[in-house]
Amino acid sequence: MNELTTVEKVTITLRVNGEERAVSVEPRWLLSDVLRHELGLVGTHVSCEQGVCGSCTVLMDGQPTRSCLQFAIQAAGSDIVTIEGVTHGEGLTPLQRAFAEHHALQCGFCTPGMVLTAQALLDKDPNPDEESIREALSGNICRCTGYQSIVDAVMAAARTTQSRVEED
Amino acid sequence: MSRLLTKPRFTGARVTRMEDDRLLKGQGRYLDDITVPGMLEIAFVRSNRSAAKLVEVDVEAARNLPGVIAVLTAEDCPYVLHDEKYQVDQSVLAKDEVRFVGEPIVAIVAENRYIAEDATELVRVQYDALPPVLTAKDALGDTRRVHSQRPNVFEHWEQVTDGFEDAFNAAPHRAQATFVTHRQTGVPMETRGCAAMVDPASGRLTVYVSHQSVHQFRTDLIKVMNLDEHQVRVVVPEVGGAFGIKAMFYTEYIVVTHAAKTLGRPVKWIGDRTESLLADCHARDNIHEVEVAFDDDGVICAVRDNVIGDTGAYPILGFPGAVGEAGWATGHLTGPYKIPHVSITVDCVFSNKTPVGAYRGVGGPVGAQVQEGYIDLVARKLGKDPIEVRRVNLIQKDQFPFVSATGNTYDPGSYAESMEEALRLIGYDTFRDEQVEARKQGRYLGIGVCVFVEPSAGVSSEAGSIPYEAVTLRLEPSGKITASTGLGPSGQGHETTLAQLIADELSVDVGDIVVLHGDTDSAPFGGGTGGSRSATIGGGAALKAAREMRGKLAKIAAHLLEASEEDIEFQDGQAHVAGVPSRGHSIAQLARIAYTDVSKLPDDMQPGLEVVSRYRPPMSVTYSNGTHAVKVEVDVQTGLVKILDYVAVNDCGVLINPMIVEGQIHGGVAQGIGSTFLEELRYDDAGQLTTTSLAEYLLPAMTDVPRMRIEHLVTPSGNDGGFKGMGEGSLIAGPPSLCSAVSNALEPFGVFVTEIPILPQHIIAWTKDKVAVEA
Ligand code: FES
Ligand code: FES
Repeated sequence: MNELTTVEKVTITLRVNGEERAVSVEPRWLLSDVLRHELGLVGTHVSCEQGVCGSCTVLMDGQPTRSCLQFAIQAAGSDIVTIEGVTHGEGLTPLQRAFAEHHALQCGFCTPGMVLTAQALLDKDPNPDEESIREALSGNICRCTGYQSIVDAVMAAARTTQSRVEED
Repeated sequence: MSRLLTKPRFTGARVTRMEDDRLLKGQGRYLDDITVPGMLEIAFVRSNRSAAKLVEVDVEAARNLPGVIAVLTAEDCPYVLHDEKYQVDQSVLAKDEVRFVGEPIVAIVAENRYIAEDATELVRVQYDALPPVLTAKDALGDTRRVHSQRPNVFEHWEQVTDGFEDAFNAAPHRAQATFVTHRQTGVPMETRGCAAMVDPASGRLTVYVSHQSVHQFRTDLIKVMNLDEHQVRVVVPEVGGAFGIKAMFYTEYIVVTHAAKTLGRPVKWIGDRTESLLADCHARDNIHEVEVAFDDDGVICAVRDNVIGDTGAYPILGFPGAVGEAGWATGHLTGPYKIPHVSITVDCVFSNKTPVGAYRGVGGPVGAQVQEGYIDLVARKLGKDPIEVRRVNLIQKDQFPFVSATGNTYDPGSYAESMEEALRLIGYDTFRDEQVEARKQGRYLGIGVCVFVEPSAGVSSEAGSIPYEAVTLRLEPSGKITASTGLGPSGQGHETTLAQLIADELSVDVGDIVVLHGDTDSAPFGGGTGGSRSATIGGGAALKAAREMRGKLAKIAAHLLEASEEDIEFQDGQAHVAGVPSRGHSIAQLARIAYTDVSKLPDDMQPGLEVVSRYRPPMSVTYSNGTHAVKVEVDVQTGLVKILDYVAVNDCGVLINPMIVEGQIHGGVAQGIGSTFLEELRYDDAGQLTTTSLAEYLLPAMTDVPRMRIEHLVTPSGNDGGFKGMGEGSLIAGPPSLCSAVSNALEPFGVFVTEIPILPQHIIAWTKDKVAVEA
């Protein structure tokens, strides 16, 4: 006696990292699962699937968004950026470089979500103070670093971007 | 033998990690990122009763769901973890009886996780409830036996120093307190997981697992499943945090491997967060009843500690937590203090809760809480400053090596020095005045200190209970270096620190070295990572391997240059005759000759340049030490504690990479803040875990962890390289210093903290309706 019915798949188009990707999904599939398992973008990490930790953060229309709390079909039509999308070619962005220089990552599991959330903050506010950084990133849990190094990395990245703006 | 004349370039430097590039790009591959064509996924049906007989497990409907490939019960997967020592059997899928909420009963193998989870809802389990054993009192009293064939107390030991009773009774003062640490767990951001498949090319079994020790895992797996070692390859990909919980062996791994073998298809299981809170090993859960005897000056002559450790339903394979926690805590009951007498009684019991295993520091945080707790208690009783009591009891520099009352030999450290330095940094001299002023305004400031010792690289730590570690080195024909280790990093940066050591020995650039780990096919047999053994023992192995390689290179160079081996020096990637840099060969040239121009080699030399080195440290354990000092403000209205200042003075011997050491300290302190103010796994009266999400089991966030200041002292160990472990000290020292600070702040209310976590409601209850009295 099987009460569950087979779920029909629908084909949607997701705009991810600047590319249109057609993908066939069940309506209940989470965006995090579709990004990871259907599109192979495994840089988006899943830690809690409860919306608490921020590991699965991607940018949706520039806003940090928990991909474990979205159905993939909800994301159709939005502009999604994952960690793979902010990394240009072989190089690291100034923010990513600052993470390495300040030892702002250990196991690296929370790191993509941290980098994307911090990037969104810097895009909005190129010169945040320590408190606003802590506030903006307080929804991203890191179990390894104790955060201080992450705060330092974001502040350093803000400084490099600032000085570059001044040079221009 | 060739000498290393130049100053090390990399050891001791803040070398940026080699791991970071891939991790920052999202290119690190963790367990759930492993996919191969045709891979199936597993979901588990877990017990929702803490104690019950299984009357019927009906899997028919689940089996019939389209997309379900197999449904396994204990009959289909008949493996049992048998604990020889404690005479307990644990069926990998529950058989006949369940003993904790979260115990796996049925495994569903399906085309994907969504279908597997759907099918779990179709399984009907009929239980016949048993009265659960949930409290230490019930467990000790054997109200019911968790395992019917044996009493709940599964381990008991006593240790009393000669003359304890006389010393205890003769002391002019005595005080007692009961210290309690509630259940907590590691919560790595990556959950546990495992994938198994028969390798289509070789026919061997490959098991991927998120774990701290590839070899220990393989040993456990083959033993339980009766497999051949050489037919099993274990691979640990990137590990997203481990903290001890991934050093254990869990039943799910056997189910996954069995499913892959019998179905002939790749199978993966990745735990979700609820599963990890239910079924990753828990930690702590200790009660220490302490009595301390002391004189008018606060000099302590004897401590009595009666301990009950609750290990949950089974002795988890790898490390029965209660034994480890109580062993560590009582083994170091006197901490950094020269207390001559102890009396220790330990009872470890089973209960109907999740099995307890390792979590960073193991008994260290509990032991330090007890140790600093009784020091503060003595101060409180005598009306003395807690620092004064520490001063009169601390082991002094000229007393090393020091044999503690519990029988541990401490190698030299800087216990008293680290405390004085921490006090200077935090401004202890002026704090007491500040505190008095603040109290006048109704603000409650407190200062707390923990002077810790961290036994590190104990040869029988939770991972790798073998007293050595191994490193293989291959100098490739191009002159680049491939190293390989049996360690099991989970974010500690071993690829970088081992490369730093090797680079200096061979005078090459760190960038010329790649360090492999996590694959039994390439890694030399080793213990893995746990108990802060990696730098001390693994680092020693890297040094030893590199020195052996240098010897080989020196021999070739000496032969080519017609010089004596003793005269060969290494500098800037070249081996040359001492004092004559122009007469030399680059390492790359020597490597090329060793492989492809072998007629130039000395006659008695094998072609190629490969070494495998095993390092057994001369000491079975070395002690790092340090002091944490913290200043807090307690808001008695909201019950919230604000950390105003935090300093850590750390002595882990020679530092390989200060940046990485500081990262470990930051992370450990953050976990200490969680332990002290947030984290508690709570059970209700029926034995249901009520904290099954991260919204209920709270972890420290960026706004909870303050900036901290760190200073290093260096007292080298006697091991090669002089390293001491340091992965745990900061979680050991964090909670006691924070507890001590809260006690100090709330002294006017007569509050003395003995339990963690300290929650806002506790603080409110302790202070509400009470009038603060000037201390
Ligand atoms: S995985 Fe999405 S918030 Fe934790
Ligand atoms: S680096 Fe491990 S969780 Fe943040």
